[in-house]
Amino acid sequence: MLNLRLETFGMKILAAFRLCLLCLFIGYLGIGCKQSSKEKVFTHSSSLRIVATTGIVGDAVKNIVLNKAEVNVLMGPGVDPHLYKASQKDLELLSKADVIFYNGLHLEGKMAEVLEKLKKQKKIVAIAEAIPVNKLIKVGENENLYDPHVWMDVSLWKYAVIECARVLQSIDTSNAAFYKQNLDNYLQALDSLDAYIETEIAKIPSIPRVLITAHDAFSYFSRRYHIEVKSLQGISTVAEFGLRDITNLVDFIVARKIKAVFMESFIPERSIRAVIEGCKAKNHEVKLGGVLFTDALGAEGTPEGTYIGMLKANVKTITDGLR
Amino acid sequence: MLISGLWIIVTSSLLAISTGLLGCLLMLRRSAMLGDAISHSVLPGIVMAYLLTGQKSSIALFVGAIILGVGVSLMIEFIQKRFSVQNDAAIGLSFTFLFAVGVILISIFAQDIDLDQDCVIYGELAYIPLDLWTTPTGLNLGPRAFWILLALAIINISFVGLAYKELQVSIFDPLFAQATGLHPQVWHYVQVVLVSLTVVAAFEVVGAILVIAFLVTPAATAYLISHRLWSFLGLSCLWGITASIGGYLLAWWSGGTIAGAIALIAGIQFLIVLIISKIAKSKA
Amino acid sequence: MWSAVIEFITFREPNIRFVVLGSIFMGISAALVGSFAYLRKQALVGDTVSHSVLPGICIAFLCIGTKNTPILLLGAFIAGWLSLLAVDWLIHQTKIKPDSANAVALSTFFGLGVFLLTIIQHTGNAAQTGLDKFIFGNAAALLKNDVWLFLGLALCTIVLVSIFFKHFALLSFDRQFAVSIGYPVKALEVLLTSLTVIAIVCGIQAMGVVLVASLLIAPAVAARFWCYNLKKMLVVACSIGALGGYVGAFISYLAPAMPSGPWIVVALFFIALASFIGAPQKGIWARFRLGQNNKRRVQEENILKYIYSAQEDGLIKEYTITPQCLAELRNNKTLEAIEPYKRLCRKNLAIQKGSAYQLTSKGIEYAKRMVKVHRLWELYLAHYLHLPPDHVHEDAESIEHIITPEIEKQLIQLLDNPSTDPHGKDIPY
Repeated sequence: MLNLRLETFGMKILAAFRLCLLCLFIGYLGIGCKQSSKEKVFTHSSSLRIVATTGIVGDAVKNIVLNKAEVNVLMGPGVDPHLYKASQKDLELLSKADVIFYNGLHLEGKMAEVLEKLKKQKKIVAIAEAIPVNKLIKVGENENLYDPHVWMDVSLWKYAVIECARVLQSIDTSNAAFYKQNLDNYLQALDSLDAYIETEIAKIPSIPRVLITAHDAFSYFSRRYHIEVKSLQGISTVAEFGLRDITNLVDFIVARKIKAVFMESFIPERSIRAVIEGCKAKNHEVKLGGVLFTDALGAEGTPEGTYIGMLKANVKTITDGLR
Repeated sequence: MLISGLWIIVTSSLLAISTGLLGCLLMLRRSAMLGDAISHSVLPGIVMAYLLTGQKSSIALFVGAIILGVGVSLMIEFIQKRFSVQNDAAIGLSFTFLFAVGVILISIFAQDIDLDQDCVIYGELAYIPLDLWTTPTGLNLGPRAFWILLALAIINISFVGLAYKELQVSIFDPLFAQATGLHPQVWHYVQVVLVSLTVVAAFEVVGAILVIAFLVTPAATAYLISHRLWSFLGLSCLWGITASIGGYLLAWWSGGTIAGAIALIAGIQFLIVLIISKIAKSKA
Repeated sequence: MWSAVIEFITFREPNIRFVVLGSIFMGISAALVGSFAYLRKQALVGDTVSHSVLPGICIAFLCIGTKNTPILLLGAFIAGWLSLLAVDWLIHQTKIKPDSANAVALSTFFGLGVFLLTIIQHTGNAAQTGLDKFIFGNAAALLKNDVWLFLGLALCTIVLVSIFFKHFALLSFDRQFAVSIGYPVKALEVLLTSLTVIAIVCGIQAMGVVLVASLLIAPAVAARFWCYNLKKMLVVACSIGALGGYVGAFISYLAPAMPSGPWIVVALFFIALASFIGAPQKGIWARFRLGQNNKRRVQEENILKYIYSAQEDGLIKEYTITPQCLAELRNNKTLEAIEPYKRLCRKNLAIQKGSAYQLTSKGIEYAKRMVKVHRLWELYLAHYLHLPPDHVHEDAESIEHIITPEIEKQLIQLLDNPSTDPHGKDIPY
């Protein structure tokens, strides 16, 4: 009797199981159908399809090809390599691309390894790796690891832009002259940007000319434009600073009478707030100078949405804060 | 696009088989959170491998991660058995400690290097169709991930196949197993090591979230409706496979991350099965 | 070095004050909620919540489009709260075990969060930078407001736990019983869960994920080794949480690049480890010592007893015998070791006479009692279990060491003041 009841119970469970399987498959079919109609929207254009990883790399490419090619950026506005998660859409872009540009120097982490392997099938270029090695800043002691934030130094970024143009000219020979022209124009703009940053930063009095941030992404900037950089911690996002780092920085700010500290958009504000409060308790008012752009561009359509605009915005924030 | 989609679903399903089998065993041993614990604990292994070799993108970091992956499982075993601490607390103590040690090591020795699991070890499901395995002669053998996960699936299936009797007895009655001379201890340690190896290897191929989700959600879904070990194991694999298909379609439709979508769908499946089994039970 | 220690102890730098007080207060609230979570076999709730908050943050961001901290925190709190309610529900309404329930909630919520992150990624909103880590703080960067917040939180937690102490205790140890005596179990669970989520979310936004998970678990596990009583355990857990915070902050002040949060975790881990090993009664060292002491006592009592019966049989005089002699008599080589005899001397139960040992009057009394108990038990076995006399010795040999004076009295009563044992020997009174 009991056995029988158990059996019917088991049957019911089995039926329930079948039912939910059915529901799921119907659901999946529904999603699938919807998708197949969407698939047709994808149009094929004859122009070059270019994919760039970060917004900054994408901006360099866009300035060379202008409207002659389709440029897709994987890490859009506000997306830095740490936040980035590859999606189905990105996979489609990557597999359909004719040429892929990325920064290199381990900025893209694991993705760079995949791109490295894909080089056998596609034209894939790490543009920052075109910069002469002796101009790069080493990290760590005895191995070939370099700080990837090269775009902070305009004169270095020019190498990357030139590399980018060189590759494009070799692939798309029909538009080579056009690309050459754009490159020259853009290099001129970069030169004047370089000079602009230099003169602007030089205007800050030299004693408090210190850029204080939470994360150390400004070593190239510091070297090129002669501004001291102090930060709570290095490049690594897993590393954490300790109590001593905070108190040391507070003492430093108080001693040098620095007027403002800055933060990067991808770091929680609180870390630099602790420094400000520490200074306040020691009777030195230091203000939050503003947010600096590091790995990601600002929103599209705004001045900060381009490389030049982003650096200019950084310079304005820094000079406004420190002057 | 269809081909790459198929590759993703197939590799994800292979993963679902490995983790589906192991997930059941973990669930029965009350250590379902082990996957998440391992994902955090590999950090000091990576850092130490980096500090020893000075290389960032190499097999050494993976070996470091594997060592720590196995190490954390053994550490949890040790704390649990030797100090008689309950399982979840032993897991929590071990992984927070190891992760903290990793962070301290990075802060002291490797401040300027991006050295977290996400950027040096953990793979991404979306890259699978791009990361092909080609012979030196240029023959394309399909995605590397497919072969790795196929090997893992074969190893895990054969483990469960070989040890089925032993597992059945030792999970439900370790003392009886010992009395009948089945060496539950040996099987147990083989299982612990196998879980760690599978989990870390899978992290390298598809990333953490998918593995963590696959280690528990399909098994939990199967647990709701099965009464025997074999149906539990089988259904667990099956739910992982359906989640792979559903998750891929969701990602395709929305353009989002595939791994996240699969984890989400696995959770939704769990919810649906839960509701249906509740209704069935209340009627019966 | 010393100046750093003095600076730290005297709170010279304002930041030291914030970090030390902040971590102590947070340690107290986390230890309180963590102890209950631990007893309910959900020690990993910290980990669950810290992963589950992600979809809440993403949805809040999708709604408002900027990184507004209070609103993101609200989203985080709601998501964390929902996940823990789901976990509670799964544990009590289905056959899913606590660890699986936590893991299912964690992976589903986190999967949804990651999925939403990629959706946000495609919106082109530039404010999203760092969204996934936005609410995760660092213990070294505690602010003055955090200290007040944590103080308030700690006070609230202490007050609520003391009001509902009996209820929470019963909920953690025997939920079924709590239901049966009519406690509003569901409401209590929601209260406890909410308290836990508030503590965790406040904790992660100020101190980071891993530290909070550890602050919840380690003090509770360690405290369990120090006492049996729940009230005492909570007090000990709070003290351990506070101590860990203090030690971690101290280490991170000694040198630069010493992260505070991870050092607190490491400090807590070692406190827990020290408790596992060194705690009185429950620690493995104490348990080992207890076993050792028992072994020694048995050895000593055996020697006393053997000497007594040798005297009784007239084999020796004045309770004096050399270890070698006794070993020969009993045909037991282990009796040759002189350490037990020395211990007897130290306890004034025997005195050394050349190479021989003689029992003192106190020793004779002790030996007499052992023989009495041994024979009483033999008699009891023979009388009540009808065992033949030659089968009772072995059993009496082991039980004699654990018979208390009360049992002894009962045995005498039960056997009606017997005078001889089953072997016909006198029972000494």
